[in-house]
Amino acid sequence: MLALRNVTKSYGSITALSGVSLNIGPGEFFGLLGPNGAGKSTLMSLVSGLRTPDSGSIELAGQPVTGSSFSVRRNLGLVPQTIALFPELTAEENLRIFGGLQGLRGNLLKAALDDAFSAAQLDDRRHSLVKTFSGGMQRRLNLVAALLHRPKLLLCDEPTVGVDPQSRNAIFEHLQHLNRTGVTIIYSTHYMEEAERLCSRIGIIDHGSILALGTLDDLLTRLPFEDEITFPVTALTAPLAVELASAGEIIAVDGTHRFRPRPGYPLSVFFALTESLGLPPRLFVNQRPTLEALFLHLTGRKLRDV
Amino acid sequence: MSQILILLRKSILSFWRAKAAVCITFLVPVVLIYLFGHVFGLYRKDSGPAGIPIAVVNLSPEPAAQKLIDALKAEKAFAVITTRDIGKGATRPLTEADVRAGLHDNSYRYALILPMDMLPVDDLGVRMKFLFNPRNEIESQMVNGLLQKTVFSNVPQLLGMSLQRYSRSFLGKERFEHFNRVIADTVADTFGGDREEIFQRNIAGDFGIADLIHAKADPVPPVPASLRRLYQPEQMQANREEPSAVNNHSAAPSTSAPLLNHESKNENQKSGDLFSRIVKIDTEQVAGKELKNPMAARLVGGYAIMFLLFAVSGSAATLFEEKNSGVFQRLLSSPVRPAHILWARFLFGVILGLAQITALFCAGWVFFGLDIFHHVGGLLAVSLSAAAACSAFGILIAAIAPSAAAANGIATFVVISMSAVGGAWFPVTFMPDYIQRVSKLTLVYWSVEGFADVLWAGMSLLEVLPKVGILTGIAAGVMLVAIWRFNRGKLFD
Ligand SMILES: Nc1ncnc2c1ncn2[C@@H]1O[C@H](COP(=O)(O)OP(=O)(O)OP(=O)(O)O)[C@@H](O)[C@H]1O
Ligand SMILES: [Mg+2]
Repeated sequence: MLALRNVTKSYGSITALSGVSLNIGPGEFFGLLGPNGAGKSTLMSLVSGLRTPDSGSIELAGQPVTGSSFSVRRNLGLVPQTIALFPELTAEENLRIFGGLQGLRGNLLKAALDDAFSAAQLDDRRHSLVKTFSGGMQRRLNLVAALLHRPKLLLCDEPTVGVDPQSRNAIFEHLQHLNRTGVTIIYSTHYMEEAERLCSRIGIIDHGSILALGTLDDLLTRLPFEDEITFPVTALTAPLAVELASAGEIIAVDGTHRFRPRPGYPLSVFFALTESLGLPPRLFVNQRPTLEALFLHLTGRKLRDV
Repeated sequence: MSQILILLRKSILSFWRAKAAVCITFLVPVVLIYLFGHVFGLYRKDSGPAGIPIAVVNLSPEPAAQKLIDALKAEKAFAVITTRDIGKGATRPLTEADVRAGLHDNSYRYALILPMDMLPVDDLGVRMKFLFNPRNEIESQMVNGLLQKTVFSNVPQLLGMSLQRYSRSFLGKERFEHFNRVIADTVADTFGGDREEIFQRNIAGDFGIADLIHAKADPVPPVPASLRRLYQPEQMQANREEPSAVNNHSAAPSTSAPLLNHESKNENQKSGDLFSRIVKIDTEQVAGKELKNPMAARLVGGYAIMFLLFAVSGSAATLFEEKNSGVFQRLLSSPVRPAHILWARFLFGVILGLAQITALFCAGWVFFGLDIFHHVGGLLAVSLSAAAACSAFGILIAAIAPSAAAANGIATFVVISMSAVGGAWFPVTFMPDYIQRVSKLTLVYWSVEGFADVLWAGMSLLEVLPKVGILTGIAAGVMLVAIWRFNRGKLFD
């Protein structure tokens, strides 16, 4: 469906993307996970033809994405990271304009509007000015405005910033519904939970490069540990530290310690050890590692404190 | 095309929703025009100052001196003071010492002294002394102008008297009388009339030839439009120096008429006034038509263009806002090209400009009686081409500016300097030559001149077509540069 080959893009001296290669198949729900400034939006703008890469190629359904090919663009919907709406116009006027620009007229346009408003749960606010909407409502409208022409490929650039959990769920469900009906989705985010929950495949991007690519399970197997035990700093007594040094690694994250046992190290040994040292078991929480851990592992930085 | 129309509709809709913007675009200029009208005194029915005190000391025994004073008294701009109170209701004529004291303590600011030798025996010419203590420069220039006009209107006779007196002293009484007898006889033989009367009038300097010429002269044919334009700058200048000029000019023949012994009621045909032709002081309105408010034509036209420029220069800021809000991303990822966005914005500017110009001219009509309905075709053509040029200018600013703030800064600077240089505030004919040359590079100049052509000179659509063509050319050229520059600019970056 979409193929990027060795794509590079710079803004002056800043390299936003360097040598990105990516294949996205039809029907995929692809997550692009990366911190601020990683190059997510740049990649979106290249795929949607807003910008042209300095080198490399981008093909959509076998056709090169060049700035001027309208036929390619009709298959594509972009949800910009910012609220790209006309605030002085009503919700319906906004959608009429964007639908009209996509070539929708008459009943087709009307049906598209009805669908969009019910999906965004904004039916009762159709005729309100967009500037009177809450941030979350604007986000929802921002999303459905890209769906009017039923694109085959939907590019969502951080579509849930500032949205409350309820609206966020509504957006997720709608996107998953679209995906089930065959729409390919590229979803950029810096929330690993979103990527974990939604995406069939995830690319971790930082400083303009894709660091890792695969399904969630694929990615997590790249970690040199399978479990991660979190405990308070105070629980790390000297004898425990000595015992664990040979069993795996201990890192400090957010005022807690994390113990990552080396593969094959039995957890029963760990818990027997803590019990014998008189440390209560409730201090130690065993978790499956997350993408967060993977990002940390790959970059040495946390996803959110870049 | 449909993309452009959809975007255009959107611009109109958002503009209309922003009531503050609508207010600023339409109401503010109209209110300002109204205020400027007051500043320039366009509402006065008599359109001129009145009752400026002027002291006159008459030391001359000449009857002509008294006639000059009467003429000054007839001028409503002046309140002529010739006497001084000496108590108990009695007065005496002013002396030069009186007026100098009066000027000093600000009893009046202007004084005219007609000396004993107003018509010197041994020299040719008229002597008088003008003293003033100006409160402000504009006023003294104006008074000077008015005074000169009144004096000059009387010069023919004064000059005639001076001439005769001079020849008498030069030729001697005997030969002078002989010479004038011969002339009188010849005139009487040729044209008829009483020899003695002609002789007496001649030696008094009242040649009376004006009567004869007046009787025989053909009416001057109406001045062609091209010539009218030639005179126009003088007229504007006169207007600027003395806001009352037009009315006073038309009053001039009637004040001078008794002195010249002829009636010249027809203001547009001063054919009979031989002297005024010889000494070239004809300040009659030459535009060949009765304009209720000539100053208003320029004022409204000039300010309309400036406001229009300000209105459309907002285009640049709006475009940057849309870019920053991500709307451009949405638009350009759908089947919309940058050129669609620019042309839609350009068209919006033209429509907005036309609406604003219409509002301003209607205001001009209501406030100043500006005659806009006689010239609808020409006015529309100039307005349309001016709006197009202004709108293109707004797009160009968006093309070259790196940000909305920069665009606003550039626009304000360029609009103000272009308005000043282009003659939106005052006529370019006031300006130094090199500035006048620069003026012609501005769209303001061609717009203001176009409006003046239509509203002032009463030109037809056909006659203003060259200026309309230039404005359209400017619009097209600027748009081309803008579209070319956009590829390099920051707007679609
Ligand atoms: N228009 C631009 N001009 C110059 N530099 C830019 C521009 N847009 C992005 N960049 C730079 O390119 C890099 C990648 O930016 P990009 O917007 O693609 O990141 P992102 O992953 O979308 O970040 P975020 O999560 O903050 O949206 C950053 O270093 C940014 O400063
Ligand atoms: Mg981004």
